[in-house]
Amino acid sequence: MSGTVPSAKSGRSGHGLLTWLLGLLVLFGAWQAAYVGELLDPMLLPSVPEVLATAAELIRQPAFLGHAGVTLLEVAAAFAIAVPTGIILGIAIAESPYWSAVLKPVVFLVFSIPKTIFLPMFILAFGINFSQKVGFGVFSTIFIVLISAFSALESVKSEHVRVARAYGATLRQIAFRVYLPSMAPILLEAVRLAMIFNLTGILLAEMYGSRAGLGQLVSNWGENFMLRELLAGILIISAGAILFNEAVRWFETRCEHWRA
Amino acid sequence: MTSLAILEKETALKPTGAAGQTAPATGSVQVRDLEHTYDASGRTTKALEGIQLDIAPGRFVVIVGPSGCGKSSLLMMMTGLLRPSSGTILCGGRPMTEPDPDVVGVVFQEASLYPWLTAQDNVEFPLSLRRMPKAERAKRARDRLALVGLNGFEDRYPHELSGGMKQRVSIARGLVQDPPILMLDEPFAALDEQTRISMGDELLRIWERTGKTVIFVTHSLTEAAYLADEIIVMSARPGRIIDRIEVDLPRPRTYEMMSTPRFAELRERIWSQIRTQVVE
Repeated sequence: MSGTVPSAKSGRSGHGLLTWLLGLLVLFGAWQAAYVGELLDPMLLPSVPEVLATAAELIRQPAFLGHAGVTLLEVAAAFAIAVPTGIILGIAIAESPYWSAVLKPVVFLVFSIPKTIFLPMFILAFGINFSQKVGFGVFSTIFIVLISAFSALESVKSEHVRVARAYGATLRQIAFRVYLPSMAPILLEAVRLAMIFNLTGILLAEMYGSRAGLGQLVSNWGENFMLRELLAGILIISAGAILFNEAVRWFETRCEHWRA
Repeated sequence: MTSLAILEKETALKPTGAAGQTAPATGSVQVRDLEHTYDASGRTTKALEGIQLDIAPGRFVVIVGPSGCGKSSLLMMMTGLLRPSSGTILCGGRPMTEPDPDVVGVVFQEASLYPWLTAQDNVEFPLSLRRMPKAERAKRARDRLALVGLNGFEDRYPHELSGGMKQRVSIARGLVQDPPILMLDEPFAALDEQTRISMGDELLRIWERTGKTVIFVTHSLTEAAYLADEIIVMSARPGRIIDRIEVDLPRPRTYEMMSTPRFAELRERIWSQIRTQVVE
């Protein structure tokens, strides 16, 4: 017989949730300890139960939910534009030797610029409204998606394409049966990263001159020294972001074997 | 060179057979006047020159040559994956202007399995491209996996298999459409010596069971002498056929044969041909 079989799937499920809860416990514990020990001015740091109670209250308030709805809509719109556009454009650029040579360096250069400094220009161009938020969200997100699409395409092995050709695959079959599964892990990662960039962009745009949205709310609470609400808002937004991230990661681990 | 004279006589004797017949493809391979040049960094390189080949159905033919001699390119042309600059290739009487999985099954070097598919799904892959019903292709793939000694491993992913097992899956995939010809491009090059020998035995066993024509490219002289009915020796670039050696070792081949004087003679003959090429 030919050699040994490398160990099969290593157990991983179960661990994730446990460490997660543990991390949360440590965070809240440290926070509460700091509160009890008066490490910070109580004005700056309310207690954990107070903040959690405020958060529970907030998510029942129609006004708060209205703001959350505005943000969610902006985030969803920007995401729905930036991710497919970025992936398709990225693949189109990377597939063409000419456009690769011309545009890849540009994309990498622009990627390294902090996008936040362009916000005033978006306000000037669009005014303060929905499309300005979405536009800025797309702008914040698309470069990381483009770059991920480049490397996703590079991860397609020419041997894998050759095998498909040897067995008579059509171009369509090569695209869907070889390219797509080859690129999937990197594209899923791109989805995760894109959401982080996207949320940052949208929330920033809301904080900087806006009438609605969670970003505006949080910035308002900060200006008015409403620490309980501020921290509750931060907790709620964080929970949403983490939930999305973990959901995509769960997908990623499901197809983990195709990274090996 | 005498060998070349023999070659010419042979090609003269055998007229180009009935091409383009609709009858089920046989395992014969014919290459006529094959040449290949390519342009790289502004310079035209001649890769293959004057290749003539006649391989009868059911033969086990091994192609050896110094690295860079174009033996892998020649094989890729015979599979239809690469177009030669000029010349014709007939496999089973059909011109190989593009891959034809009904005629030729291909086994590549390592890492050609799809890591996102199980062993079973990898073997089914060629059939699924042709939309064969699920039940039938599952059965066929299982049969082929059993043929290569991998029953019980159907649900493993490639990263859960050893190097030798991966190449068994590749061979099963190459045979799944039951083509009359199997072409292998240095399939065991990445394996350790022991695994390589046992995989050679395995391939011989499969070949004897199925009666396929096998064309096998390798740079290992031992592998060539151990496996082949006939060894085709190629020169350094531009690759030409400089010798054809009939291997008269009895079958089944055994490990002990490797230490016989006859085996050493064979290896010596191949090596003496290749050495002159390497030195130059």
